[in-house]
Amino acid sequence: MPGAPLPEFSSSVKLKYVKLGYQYLVNNFVTLLLIPVMAAVYLELARMGSDEIMGLWRSLHLHLIHILCSFFVIVFAATVYLTSRPQPVYLVDYACFRPPGTCRVPFSTFMEHTRLISSDEKSVRFQMRILERSGLGEETSLPPANHYIPPRPTMEASRAEAQLVIFSAIDDLVRKTGLRLKDIDILVVNCSLFSPTPSLSAMIINKYKLRGNVRSFNLSGMGCSAGLISVDLARDLLQVHRRSNALVVSTEIITPNFYAGNQRSMLLPNCLFRMGAAAILLSNRRRDARRAKYRLVHAVRTHKGADDRAYRCVYQEEDAEGHSGISLSKDLMAIAGEALKSNITTIGPLVLPMSEQLLFFLTLVGRKLINPKWKPYIPDFKLAFEHFCIHAGGRAVIDELQKNLELSAEHVEASRMTLHRFGNTSSSSLWYELNYIESKGRMRRGDRVWQIGFGSGFKCNSAVWKCLRAVKPPVDGPWSDCIDRYPVDIPEVVSL
Amino acid sequence: MDLLWTISTALLLCSLLSILWKESDRRRNRNCYLLDFVCYKPSDDRKLSTELCSDIIARNKRLSVPDYKFLLKVVVNSGISEETYGPRSIIEGREECPTHDDCVDEVDDCMYRTLDQLFLRTGVSPIDVDVLVVNVSMFAPSPSLTSRIVNRYSMREDVKTFSLAGMGCSASPIAIDLVNNIFKTRKRTLAVVVTSESIAPNWYCGTDKSMMLGNCLFRSGGCSFMLTNDPSLRHRAKMSLKCLVRAHIGADDDAYSCAIQKEDDEGRVGFHLSKSLPKAAVRAFAENLQRLAPKVLPVGELALYAVRGLRHRLWRSKEAKTDAATAARVNFKSGVDHFCLHTGGAAVIDAVGRALGLAKYDVEPARMTLHRWGNTSASSLWYVLGYMEAKKRLRRKDRVLMLSFGAGFKCNSCLWEVLRDLNDGGAWEDCIRAYPPQTLVNPFMEKFRWVKEA
Repeated sequence: MPGAPLPEFSSSVKLKYVKLGYQYLVNNFVTLLLIPVMAAVYLELARMGSDEIMGLWRSLHLHLIHILCSFFVIVFAATVYLTSRPQPVYLVDYACFRPPGTCRVPFSTFMEHTRLISSDEKSVRFQMRILERSGLGEETSLPPANHYIPPRPTMEASRAEAQLVIFSAIDDLVRKTGLRLKDIDILVVNCSLFSPTPSLSAMIINKYKLRGNVRSFNLSGMGCSAGLISVDLARDLLQVHRRSNALVVSTEIITPNFYAGNQRSMLLPNCLFRMGAAAILLSNRRRDARRAKYRLVHAVRTHKGADDRAYRCVYQEEDAEGHSGISLSKDLMAIAGEALKSNITTIGPLVLPMSEQLLFFLTLVGRKLINPKWKPYIPDFKLAFEHFCIHAGGRAVIDELQKNLELSAEHVEASRMTLHRFGNTSSSSLWYELNYIESKGRMRRGDRVWQIGFGSGFKCNSAVWKCLRAVKPPVDGPWSDCIDRYPVDIPEVVSL
Repeated sequence: MDLLWTISTALLLCSLLSILWKESDRRRNRNCYLLDFVCYKPSDDRKLSTELCSDIIARNKRLSVPDYKFLLKVVVNSGISEETYGPRSIIEGREECPTHDDCVDEVDDCMYRTLDQLFLRTGVSPIDVDVLVVNVSMFAPSPSLTSRIVNRYSMREDVKTFSLAGMGCSASPIAIDLVNNIFKTRKRTLAVVVTSESIAPNWYCGTDKSMMLGNCLFRSGGCSFMLTNDPSLRHRAKMSLKCLVRAHIGADDDAYSCAIQKEDDEGRVGFHLSKSLPKAAVRAFAENLQRLAPKVLPVGELALYAVRGLRHRLWRSKEAKTDAATAARVNFKSGVDHFCLHTGGAAVIDAVGRALGLAKYDVEPARMTLHRWGNTSASSLWYVLGYMEAKKRLRRKDRVLMLSFGAGFKCNSCLWEVLRDLNDGGAWEDCIRAYPPQTLVNPFMEKFRWVKEA
């Protein structure tokens, strides 16, 4: 078990490289030894003439028992080796909830409702300013309960929203994959702000009549990055259970979380959060490998909760009047940047090509030994990934990450357009973004995708997928009716 | 050439040995050991006497006199003592409008007290924790309860946290299942699980009878326990997990809606317990036992059961036998020494005891836990285990079965094997000598005798 914590960015990276090198050496020790031996054997055989080789072959016949033994030994070793390898996790397909037109909230509707609900002129103007600069479009959706004046956040309405978004997504997934629901072995549901008893996972089991021995888990309160936590959990479970599949459902239920007060830091979620859900089918079955879209390469979780500033930056509390809401601190961008850096120190060595790692290592050595004034080398992640799905938490988050990772406008286009079309759908936003990339016909076989999620706690979670087959448009999904209108130019400020 | 042959053979053998070594290493790390567990003991100013319960119920002015009588009857006949604990906000009169801080403080107190003690007793530092699971069914704030713990104890950045919610009274085995699965993918991992329930935000202030039972029976409680798959810590571990079975009958609509959180006709949220709950419990129980029995019972007992079943079918007995009744024919005591039953209520414990063919001695820990702590939801199994340990019943090689029911409807069970003689008092330390008491009858029966008079 590791002892002392690793505080510094650069020193932690250095240690990681040494550890990686050592691990590589030890894990492949026998292979590395075998290479020179094989080379020697080949050279020896090449040196001998064909007569000598025939003579050698004939002499071997006398030792048939040895041949049989070696044969069995090789077969046995191969079997043990194959069964002990980690199981690949395939993403067979996924489906996102497409909100009906009746749930749309154009700016005018939102502002009209806000003016009628809120008595405080200042908070109305504040919300208008937020909406103007938010990067959201006119087609984002709120659940039916929020269309009432004032909104009706009852438990029944919350369940109704959950049923609407989740069941639509799962029905879509069943249609696309031909999934037999009785075949589902693992079910992981994540919804941060609504956790009724029985859980949403029990609701899904009830509706779709899943088997009695399905392994279900319901994660709650884990924020906007919970989708990747669910994928990570499903991956661990699929390592243990062979020939299984897992249904992961990521959503956020908006109905019970309308903030009815006037504190500014708590008004932002009202303006940004919108309805959405995604259902993802993961599998480790060999037959699914043929039709799967992606393979999960890495999943990395980083939790910055030990730092008080990070812990408090997205915090549910009551304001002075007793209204419950989620307050977002002003440090959010800086903390997101730091959380990303921590996540990168783990994922960087796993995904960056040798050239980048070498450059980073040499710059580090140079800074330590030669000249501390050298600028730290920021690895070029564009060499490691073709596509980026950054959680559409808000315009500022996407801007910050674009700057940190030195990405082009095209790389963050999926995130910006998802924010525009669907708003911040919390944990499911990454799947809307992936669907955008597919709908634009940009996803080719062998492409690598990096999904980055941020969430309360403060967490930064990443998942790396590799595309197994090209996805050709038109793609059935939430973008199918509007992809031709995108990308749109989103002005800095929309005047309302 | 001979040298080459020798080297090749040696290398082949080496690779074979290394593969076998890796495989055996993996198998060694597949065990799940319980290092220690700490049950929550709230402060004495939070004790709920029957008198205090009566006052709290009376505060709800919407209740009619028959409703009030009904509730008091439930409390008096519940088999719950004067020593159980409630949340501070309810005792202080804020049951109808608890603040967010009230709810958070209630859970924080439980989590931090038990975790402080757990880390102290095991000598493990929070920075060494690899996996953290919290399950509190009816309260899930943002940031999650796991983040609260990570912040308070400054845990590592790569700690895997899982915050389970909405999974009902049988969430403890679910958390163990999650950790057990993660153990099978990593070596030398340390996990901490915190299980509790939140009562403060879930007080029902309406008049629907089916929703008021929760108010009367649920009490504050919780438990933190530490699990590991590190074989080098085996000598310090208390128990080892042998098998775990989860059965979910949520596919049946009646079972799904028999224990459900919803609004009553006046829009007040409460936990509805329907009349079909016992039936759902029996079905879930049967399904669980069907899968559990082959893993837990010795071959002889299973053979006997098969023979009995065959005889029954051949002789075509006209009596209709339910699954649960057939289960009574199976002697679970042949494979299990101790039974940790969920303390859902006196009726539940008795029913399960009858179904498993248990004696008074076997259900005593559950009955006493219900008496001393009330229904503490998911953590009740740990209080029952604590009773057995305090009574020095747990000896090396004994097998302990944990069985619980929960909303959904689920029945989860897990079998542990005790690794060494256990004799820790734990949360029962100060009162174990008084158990079992002479009588479980409520001492205020005299005062509240008018309740029984209809």
